[in-house]
Amino acid sequence: MKSTRILTALAAALLLLAGCAGGDTAPTSQDGDQTSGGSLTWGWHLPSTWDPVTSTVGQDVHVLSLAYAALTKQDVDGNAVPALAESWEYNETGDEVTFTLREGLTFTDGTPLDAEAVKSSLLRGRDAPDSTIGAQLAVVTDVRVDSPTEVTLLLNQPDYQIPLLLSGKTGMIVSPAAVEADVEALATKPVGAGPFALDEYVPASHATLHKNEDYWDADAILVDDFELRVPPDPTVAVAGIQSGQFDVAVIPPAQIEAARAAGLEVEVIDVFTVRVLDVNNTVEPFDDPRVTQAISHAINRQELVDVAFFGEGDPNWQPFPRDYLAWNEELDELYTFDQDRARELLAEAGYADGVAVTLTTQAENDPLAELLQQQLQAVGIDVTLEVATPGANNYVTRQYPFVVDSFSGRESPLQALEVLFGPEGLMNLGRNAPPEIQQAIDVARSTPLDDPGYDQAVQDAVAAAVTTMPNTFLFTWPRIFARDPSAQGLEHYIGTQRFEGVTVGR
Amino acid sequence: MRALRSAVRLRAAKIALAVLGVVVVLMVAGEWLAPYDPLHQDTTAILAGPSAEHWLGTDYVGRDVLSRLLAGSRLSVIAAAEAVGLGLLLGVLPGLASVYFGPVFEWLSLRVMDGLMALPFIIFAIAVAALLGNGLHQAMFAVGVLMAPSFYRVTRAAAIGLRQAQYVEAATLFGATRWRVVRTHVWQKVLPTVVVTTATAMAGALLVVSSLTFLGIGVQPPAPTWGGMLASDLGYLTQRPFGPVAPALLIIVTVAALNALADAIRDATGDGAPASSVPAPQEVLDDVPAARV
Repeated sequence: MKSTRILTALAAALLLLAGCAGGDTAPTSQDGDQTSGGSLTWGWHLPSTWDPVTSTVGQDVHVLSLAYAALTKQDVDGNAVPALAESWEYNETGDEVTFTLREGLTFTDGTPLDAEAVKSSLLRGRDAPDSTIGAQLAVVTDVRVDSPTEVTLLLNQPDYQIPLLLSGKTGMIVSPAAVEADVEALATKPVGAGPFALDEYVPASHATLHKNEDYWDADAILVDDFELRVPPDPTVAVAGIQSGQFDVAVIPPAQIEAARAAGLEVEVIDVFTVRVLDVNNTVEPFDDPRVTQAISHAINRQELVDVAFFGEGDPNWQPFPRDYLAWNEELDELYTFDQDRARELLAEAGYADGVAVTLTTQAENDPLAELLQQQLQAVGIDVTLEVATPGANNYVTRQYPFVVDSFSGRESPLQALEVLFGPEGLMNLGRNAPPEIQQAIDVARSTPLDDPGYDQAVQDAVAAAVTTMPNTFLFTWPRIFARDPSAQGLEHYIGTQRFEGVTVGR
Repeated sequence: MRALRSAVRLRAAKIALAVLGVVVVLMVAGEWLAPYDPLHQDTTAILAGPSAEHWLGTDYVGRDVLSRLLAGSRLSVIAAAEAVGLGLLLGVLPGLASVYFGPVFEWLSLRVMDGLMALPFIIFAIAVAALLGNGLHQAMFAVGVLMAPSFYRVTRAAAIGLRQAQYVEAATLFGATRWRVVRTHVWQKVLPTVVVTTATAMAGALLVVSSLTFLGIGVQPPAPTWGGMLASDLGYLTQRPFGPVAPALLIIVTVAALNALADAIRDATGDGAPASSVPAPQEVLDDVPAARV
């Protein structure tokens, strides 16, 4: 008996030593060295589905790009750069674009990712009855397979936006074999050729993925495992990162100070997101453009940024951030903060004694909505705040005519304009638009991206839309990540967040 | 009634009544007592700490917290009272009737109450708010309906015991009507039990109101409520670490006073209602996430 006890004690001591030794030799990157391996946990929203064709939420693109690769991808500034396709070329007239794929690509199910697979995937995106990207791909009349690595998109009009368009959900290539086998299963079991492959997915909780060694840019992926967890409640986000529950997590501006005080690194990333009031201009009193102009004049955007977002944002009158190619300088301060002008416009519209409106907000205790209420009240617009019924999809039902919203941007600036202002655009609650907008969009669409007149053509389209449509833009607001100092290499992407080059040290 | 009078003489009851008296004053006069307009935003002074100007500081859009707390008392307390009032009405009358108005009504009312008891408070209130619109009255209607079984069971239990009492039988033999028996002999005896239940139910309802408004159900912004203020303060703990203390304390103290009052009345009534015979409000608390607060 005694010898057994001694042996047990010895074994325990050895285990203890082994544990200590393991702790000493664990890799760290506190000094900034890049170290491969390890697991990265990201606090971010889980997707509405893992199938890019049926995804209903714009921000799904961040998560879906973990599991899927597209023909192109966005660089940090939002330009299309090679991904699955190493190059592309337009014909003379701009209505055909040929993509050349990399050699030897495969999906995570082992099947080849060749020109046939690209054709099959894009046509499913265009034609599937439940597709949410069909409208964007409507410009594609057919897809021609030229060789196993060459695929040509035939377009119904000159459109130089295709490489941009295909850098997001629209261009993510889904394994045709998986679609054939069980298309419903894609909602929970993605089969793509992205940087990671999904191991486990628990809706509303987490998803775990491992590195896809066959990813075309696998050398740039420096972590072995990737875990996605629903974002922590803002009140515990900092503690969650400190305790190791997250390596990187999205936080609201109110938590920046706490994160820094706790020794975490804070990344304030200027992105496409812009706060906007969706307006249905077929509903009184918004059917009079002078009312929406008065609303815009009555809003002190800088105060919104300073109070509701702790100064983290940039007042804006258009759907794109300053410095982006589509940002039109002439639209800056389009409707200056001018309460007298607002009252004048209201009086001209026949509301000299004021007008009552209901403003719908998504959240209780929304400082933005409460500030807007007070600002509009000051010029005689009596605002009742209403919290939207949870789960109501106002883009489809259009039950609320005046809504505090946010626009996440799109890979192509013209696609963004169509979502916001197109006659079928989801954020065009009135579902009407003057034809000049579409004409201006078409001019920009048929201008090559490297043409010296391209930026101006896009900006003209923005001006045509913003000066005639009721959507009221408020300010651009950043994506804010807090991260453990050992998680390094996170680049600031204006669009989809990517994880190439990111390392973890703990 | 004598029992109630003797209960009020207990020290715990006096303290509880004093606290509740203050709450009632806040409820009635809170808006006038508030030093500032509870909705006025001063965006140059957001999330300020306590000062001579703003005793409890300002919130995330620069509103005076003390004024909001005072003004919020009315909504919070009235909402709880609404629910309890409805519960009383829908519980006590059928509870008495189930004992004295025949087996058919007894059987029917028992089944209805059994059905209501199976529904969880918060989820039912959220569903009703989604159906009838996100308002406090709608949510309180739902809570009041679900509180009815508590009153029903307590009233019925007390009334059943009295049905066989000799003085009740004597009154019946002397030709008293069923209505007269209930009014003069039964109701007097049932009342202390109902009062105890009401006090505990009121405490439970306050917690339900606070948790619903904490979750964003039932109140349209920017109207202040205790639970809503608690929820909004949690988002700005870095800037105002003591923010949630004031609304939380107000909720805690009011609920504790109601419970203390209920205990005092129960102690004073002696045979009235031991704690174990008042099970339903405890179930209310079990359903309330804010009980964690």
